Amino acid sequence: MIVLDSLLMFLIAYSTGFLYYGLYRNITARFQRRYGPPIWQSFFDSIKFFTKEESTSHGWMFYLGPIIMMTGAIMTLLFIPFFSNDESFVGLSKYGNLFVVLYLLVLGPLGNALGVGTAGNPFGAMGITRGLSRLFAMELPFYIAVIAIMSLSGSSDIATISASQTMLNAVAYPLLFIGALFSFIGMMGQAPFDVVGAPVEVYSGPATEFSGKFLALLMSQSAIFTFAKLVLMVHLFLGGADGFLELLGKTFVLFLFVIAFGSMYGRFKTAQSIDFLLKVPTTIAVLGLILATWS
Amino acid sequence: MDLSIFGLSDIILSLKVTHLANFFASLIAFSSFIVMFIGRNYKLTKSFYALFILLTASLFLIVYAADYLLFFIGWEVMSISSYFLLSFSLSKEALHKYIIFAMASALSIFIAILILYSGTHSFLYADARESFARLSDIKGIVFVVLMLFGIFVKLGTIGFHYWLVDAYEESHDFFTPYLSAVLSKMGIYALIILVTQVVELSYTLAIIGVMTSIIATFKAIQEDSAKRLLAYSSIAQLGYIVTVLGVADGMAGALYHSLIHTLVKLLLFINIAGIIYVTGRSKFSQLGGLIYKTPQSFVLLLIGIITLAGMPPLGGFASKFMIYTSLLDAKYLLILSAVMFSSASAFLYVYKLIYGIYLGHPTNKKLESIKEVPLSFLIPQYILALILILIGTFPALIVPQLNAILSESHLHTIAFRDYATLISAFGEYNGLVLISAFGVIFGIVLLFLLSTHSKVKEVKDRFDVAYCGEEPNEATHLHYGYSMGKELKRVGFLNLIYKNSVKPFYDFIASQTVNFADIFKKIYTGNLTNNFNIAVVFAIILLWWSIK
Repeated sequence: MIVLDSLLMFLIAYSTGFLYYGLYRNITARFQRRYGPPIWQSFFDSIKFFTKEESTSHGWMFYLGPIIMMTGAIMTLLFIPFFSNDESFVGLSKYGNLFVVLYLLVLGPLGNALGVGTAGNPFGAMGITRGLSRLFAMELPFYIAVIAIMSLSGSSDIATISASQTMLNAVAYPLLFIGALFSFIGMMGQAPFDVVGAPVEVYSGPATEFSGKFLALLMSQSAIFTFAKLVLMVHLFLGGADGFLELLGKTFVLFLFVIAFGSMYGRFKTAQSIDFLLKVPTTIAVLGLILATWS
Repeated sequence: MDLSIFGLSDIILSLKVTHLANFFASLIAFSSFIVMFIGRNYKLTKSFYALFILLTASLFLIVYAADYLLFFIGWEVMSISSYFLLSFSLSKEALHKYIIFAMASALSIFIAILILYSGTHSFLYADARESFARLSDIKGIVFVVLMLFGIFVKLGTIGFHYWLVDAYEESHDFFTPYLSAVLSKMGIYALIILVTQVVELSYTLAIIGVMTSIIATFKAIQEDSAKRLLAYSSIAQLGYIVTVLGVADGMAGALYHSLIHTLVKLLLFINIAGIIYVTGRSKFSQLGGLIYKTPQSFVLLLIGIITLAGMPPLGGFASKFMIYTSLLDAKYLLILSAVMFSSASAFLYVYKLIYGIYLGHPTNKKLESIKEVPLSFLIPQYILALILILIGTFPALIVPQLNAILSESHLHTIAFRDYATLISAFGEYNGLVLISAFGVIFGIVLLFLLSTHSKVKEVKDRFDVAYCGEEPNEATHLHYGYSMGKELKRVGFLNLIYKNSVKPFYDFIASQTVNFADIFKKIYTGNLTNNFNIAVVFAIILLWWSIK
């Protein structure tokens, strides 16, 4: 039962993730007065990469890097239930909790960082350095908001948090939501916090050495991971969902906001983004936490 | 023990076997066993081993003492025997730092104990709460401050860490794992005794602990030497334990993390010792690219850093989970945020540790002919790694033992269902499901990737990397990541941590002490006639005083 459930979750996240990615490329193209690629272009690209005749590898740790990344993305997906009150599409979520998910979110990137390091490409190491330096600053406002939400709903179970919202958390505790949104934009790799990949500037960051089927695996995990993160955010702040339509609607609105935000702003340097994240969103989140838990 | 024959009729000394003492004693015994494996690689003298045994004996005295006097005797023997152990390898300056701080710590604990004694005229832990209640407010505060000073020096809490990092870096590779894994835990033990038997310190401890862990984490990120990095990491990890001891129900998390920290620091320091043994280097800027030369060491270090970072599914997550949930339960929300912030920052230095040594490029020709480290280094690491995986899979395995300690101290026990499920006040998780899900998904993805018909071309030449169309060579600076974290200095807010140091403060104290000593030097010149005159004057004063 769990196996079937997990498989369905995987397939839905996989296809939705690629759909969203296609829409992302189209929408940003319109922002820049271009026509984008066909919606399923990224999906076809990933299939094509899987069937490339040759992929370059730098030893077994390099081989395992993208696999750990994919495993991290699927684990994250399976430990977040799709719906607030439903017996199906829960995956493994009842064996974990929000703390587990917070750590699973960084498991994949860290695993891949080992593969990147093994390749010995200085551009890859540069991307990892930037990513890790930015990571703690990015997580802080999110952690503060999540801690406040956990304390308010008296549980670290995602479905319980999601179902316990009489008024949406985003409306009831707007400061917490705003603080967490800044982090979330960073987690989604959008501007102004997109210095990790930073195309053009550092060749392409952590993904530099990966080609062929490794690159395809990285693309697929990105699709799944994006969807999982969106679902998590919807559960925490937007009251979760009770059906597929609601889930897709809410995740898409959130996604649209994130990519619109990303298209509007330029890129922070690493030090700038750390400085900004530690000052503005953190202050907002701390204020939100104090206001929300005052009594 | 009755001391009346010595004329000390009202002093009772006693040893007592408690679950708490057993817990720490087993950490000591296990760590001594583990470090003995690597001893045979070094030509250590008999006196080194004799002192090591004396040190271990003093540690047992500390944990089994049931009164503060025996505790102090153990503490003093521990400080002095580790001084002699450190003197085998430490530079003069580091050694002076160590002994000055160790003696200051011991003396301040001694004064604190005497103040406590003035309450009920008993050294026993059992009477300690009563003694403390009878102290005046001022005396109470002085007691707490002196006691905490003594403990914090041993823990290396930020501000008092001045001796620790140098001592860890320069201590013998055989002794460093023991220093970090066991000696620092004595500070935790003393703190637990203080918190459970004498007085609760809630926010004081929580704030000091969390400041310590944040500052030490960022200091660790900047270090170029593996041992210094791990020394700061030790300070930071102990900071978490201090923080959680500020919460009434934090004992479980503190004990759990003590166990994990002992295991993981043994593993990491032994791993580094092995690398130093085969390469003779300990700086990231001089290492690099060892992964395929010493693959077993790499995997073992990886297990170590996964645990240190608190990643599921290994043991480190279980203790972090206990710490987080007890802080959450006590509504220490901002402190919890700061702890999690520090924990997330730790990813940077754990990655730097593994990258600097094993990944990237070899910075030196000699590194390309390195062989795997000797088995005597690997065996203890395998034992530790297996235990960490076991604890990760069955995080509730030690809950019955923890519950025995908790109920002995009249604290809430941890709920217990099966060994795989760790239950806390704020939710639960299943370690077995976590680790098997990871294994199954990893296996499926691996099989899938192996089954695609795309061939894999292994790159033999390490300069064959994508490099913007250019070809790097020997002269190109490719081991880029060893200086990871340098750009943090550009963040004004974080640079405060790097700009400020305790060195000027201690230099000031030192110069003032020297000035003060100069006054005495003017009287006590060392001239024999002069000395005789001083002695006569003193004798006359003493005589006059005793007659009066």
